[in-house]
Amino acid sequence: MQTLQLLWAGIAQGMIYALVAFGYNITFATSKILNFSLGNVLMLGGVVGFILYMTRGVPFAAALAGVIAVGAVGGVLVQKLAVEPSLRKKSQHAWILATLAIGIVLRNGAEVFWSTDDFKMRSPLGDVPLRIGGAGGIGIYPQEILIILVSLAIVLAVETLKARTLLGKAVQAVSEDKETASLMGIDQTRVILISFSLSAAIAAVGGLLVAPVTLVSATMGTVLGVKAYSASIIGGLESGYGTIAGGLIIGLSESLTARFVSTGYKDIPGFLFLIVLLLVKPAGLFGRQAVRKV
Amino acid sequence: MLGFAAAVLWIATSAGGEPIKIGVYGPYTGGSAGMGVSMRNGVRLAADEINASGGVLGRKIELVERDDEAKNERGGQIMQEFLEKEHVVAVLGPINTGVADAALRYPNEKKVPELINVSAGAKVNELFDVYGKENYVFRIAAGDLIQSEMIVSEAVQTRKLRKPALLCDDTNYGQNGRAKMEKALEKHGVKPVYVGKFKIKDTDMTAQLQEARGAGADVLLVYGIGPELAAVANSMERLGWRVPMIGSWTLSMSAFINNAGANGNGATMPQTFIESGASTPKQLAFLEAYWKRFNEKPIAVAVAAAQGYDSLYLIAMAIEQAGSTEGPKIKAALENLLKSYEGVTGRYVKPFSPTDHEAVKQANVMMGVVKGGMVTPPQK
Repeated sequence: MQTLQLLWAGIAQGMIYALVAFGYNITFATSKILNFSLGNVLMLGGVVGFILYMTRGVPFAAALAGVIAVGAVGGVLVQKLAVEPSLRKKSQHAWILATLAIGIVLRNGAEVFWSTDDFKMRSPLGDVPLRIGGAGGIGIYPQEILIILVSLAIVLAVETLKARTLLGKAVQAVSEDKETASLMGIDQTRVILISFSLSAAIAAVGGLLVAPVTLVSATMGTVLGVKAYSASIIGGLESGYGTIAGGLIIGLSESLTARFVSTGYKDIPGFLFLIVLLLVKPAGLFGRQAVRKV
Repeated sequence: MLGFAAAVLWIATSAGGEPIKIGVYGPYTGGSAGMGVSMRNGVRLAADEINASGGVLGRKIELVERDDEAKNERGGQIMQEFLEKEHVVAVLGPINTGVADAALRYPNEKKVPELINVSAGAKVNELFDVYGKENYVFRIAAGDLIQSEMIVSEAVQTRKLRKPALLCDDTNYGQNGRAKMEKALEKHGVKPVYVGKFKIKDTDMTAQLQEARGAGADVLLVYGIGPELAAVANSMERLGWRVPMIGSWTLSMSAFINNAGANGNGATMPQTFIESGASTPKQLAFLEAYWKRFNEKPIAVAVAAAQGYDSLYLIAMAIEQAGSTEGPKIKAALENLLKSYEGVTGRYVKPFSPTDHEAVKQANVMMGVVKGGMVTPPQK
């Protein structure tokens, strides 16, 4: 029973990592660029959701719409302000610092204009844990079920769109070969812009999803962003479904290590696994080995 | 010649009117910000009152405020700035044990008194072993020693609970508290059934609580700050496990009370001041002024606000008595305050002596209980 409780907590946490990792995956697929501000975009989603739902008292659906809008616009801004200029200058690595910097600006902005405190957000489904298996049974927050379902649904939906629709095909074409895709009449800048917008919107929704089970604060995305990044590397940056595996591996290893080894070491197995994996299979569990022609 | 004399006179009088600078530092941003801001507000309130009634030695008090962001290294930087650049005559603050300890040597080297007004774990009387009589560090807050003994005796003696589980954060603060609680338990001949820790920002304490529960714990003794302590209370609810939670004064932070909600009810902690239990005219006047000035009711961290307020008054009294702003004279006056001080956190008669720099004694401290979204005084 106890172990089941831990497994459940690990899966719920892992799905959040997976969702943000999936965000990394989307922009990487189209532009070979990782949006390192994604952790703080998640925070922005949590904070905006908190302000709308808790402070202003708007219905949850409206708060959700607001969060998606903020995320989508935020993604476009990140692309326009941080990524495009560094690509225009043909800089290989400027986007790394530029996206990181945007993340820091977002976090400090939230601290200055909103608050430096931690706040509790009510779950729209209630905060009383469902008890499964009698009095000593495991406690499951309804919000955690929501996290798992919504995360799976988002990954499934986006992957299906990529495979079935024209826009999806365009995205795939751009990720395969930018130049050829352009020659085929695909507006690759637009595809990249859409991918940034989509990934940021997903991260923002992730923020709204985790808020009720963690706390809302200006720093809520910092660690999450890093762990999600490891999840995306473990799963393979090229693989959409791989991010789910990556997220679950990190989430589960955390909760099991905390219980059976020591809480002080809970982050170690996940990162250790990452290092070993990078040595053995650098493209990640589900990634394709990139062949770089020189 | 006359012009020269006039110039000298002008300089002399304007120097006499120069404000007395007092350094105030604490975390005004980040996870401990609630405590830092409340403390700063308390100090500001006292400064306004003192200045409105004529200041100290006929001079105004000027606060030099710095944000240490709860980062240890900032403590040293700020203290150097206070002493080398701003030339403050005394220092108030900080909140975090690590920050305080990182900077304690500067006031002693420069012979400028520091009155710690929130940090419970910072070294104070321990410094007599290092600096002998030349210890410039004072405290007006319930130190970890007092707190841990009160926490343990509440559990073991008052409630007869003899299977405690210890759960503390992994900072200097939490681990100092753990060590002191273990020592206090030992005095009662009790061994904790489980000792665990957690990190700042952890939100799921399921693993630790499962172990504590498995070990048969009948009470949880905790040491940490608001948000993580709330996570402990919430995770207990998730496990459907309910044992009393007794711990550091930080269980009174709004970050605990708001984030734990109903799960925080019953949490018990040592307090030097309880907002809802205010009874003396001084306490009531303080609250009235604070609520009005900062438009905040209840106060985010009432203990920090009250101690901040009292700390400036004690320093001001010492400067007045010393008749000087020189560090050694202020220190001597603090160690032998002739007047008593009726403060928000209690009545202080000779709060310090040359061998004891702790103003708060066990008699000043009571056990508060969280009930219905606020800290309530102990039941009689």
